[in-house]
Amino acid sequence: MRKKTLAAAALLAAATLTLSACGSSADDSGSPVSVVSEEPGSDKPATVLDQPFEKPDLVLTDAQGKKYDLRAATKGKPTLLYFGYTHCPDICPTTMSNIAVAKKQLPKAEQDELQVVFVTTDPARDTPAELGKWLKGIDPTFVGLTGSFATIQSSARTLGISIEPTSKDKNGKLVSMHGTQVVAFSPKTDAGYLLYGEDATVDDYIKDLPKIVKGQTP
Amino acid sequence: MRRTALTALCATALTGALVLTGCSDSDDGGISVSGAYMPQPVSDMAAGFLTIVNDSGTADQLTSVTSDDGEITMHETNSGAMAEVSRFSVPAHGQLVFKSGANHLMFDKLKHKPKQGQTVTVELHFAESDPVVVKMPVKSATYVPKTGH
Repeated sequence: MRKKTLAAAALLAAATLTLSACGSSADDSGSPVSVVSEEPGSDKPATVLDQPFEKPDLVLTDAQGKKYDLRAATKGKPTLLYFGYTHCPDICPTTMSNIAVAKKQLPKAEQDELQVVFVTTDPARDTPAELGKWLKGIDPTFVGLTGSFATIQSSARTLGISIEPTSKDKNGKLVSMHGTQVVAFSPKTDAGYLLYGEDATVDDYIKDLPKIVKGQTP
Repeated sequence: MRRTALTALCATALTGALVLTGCSDSDDGGISVSGAYMPQPVSDMAAGFLTIVNDSGTADQLTSVTSDDGEITMHETNSGAMAEVSRFSVPAHGQLVFKSGANHLMFDKLKHKPKQGQTVTVELHFAESDPVVVKMPVKSATYVPKTGH
């Protein structure tokens, strides 16, 4: 099981000698680069939850403009849920691309079982059409959802994912937030039992998806 | 310790970085760039990553990054939120790292969507040093650099 604080601290140390802060982590004053390679217990990308999350009761609009009920649509199916936005250059497209590439390694029947749901954190810009266009470039079978920000925020909160509404920075540019985790829901229990941080790679998903589609713990 | 880390970094540098001064051990080596890449973007927006090494005894600042291919702004990421940064320091005998999940260059309004195998040319502008031109190779959307860690 990955130790989140250590991973965050290591990421911070790796990122730069001088700047950036993830808020929570301890002081990085004088932390040497060499610490980065000594991160213990990080061989597994998934965090297995002792207390699984209930699947949020989320009803939104999909990329086709149709009503989508998360619980009804994904009942009994392995499901990956991510909160992000399409005007996101770094983590959102990488996360979804990692899942898309890994999904294609599964046998066809399991590919059809796996539900990948992308919920926008930026509903004002991410209309159904925008979501559809973006997901088409990643995997057209992925579900994109938009709707009221309050609904999206409160369902994210039930999964321990904290997002704030899109705001303007000092230059007047719109800034949105993405979730930092992908939640995997088991087909056996419909509960969210695994978390993947944004440092999970395509190889991590390739390794774990065959387990996830069976509701097993990787 | 620092010297070792930098040397290892240079040794694993990826293709595409226009390294002006190489991995010289001298103190007046100046600015060099390694590990530059862009994951193949999904839209007209993209991210770019690289490591800037300052091998000199003088601190510098990265003040802007430009490209003929689109608009570039510099960002840091804190707990899922990006924030634009107008300048990043490049400490003396230190480095400035842009990597996924942390600092990144953000390309917007790309005139054409870069494809894997192509390169995107950017120019780094510094407060002190001369500009550095970097040819940034476009990698797969799932590319993870091998940093040796």
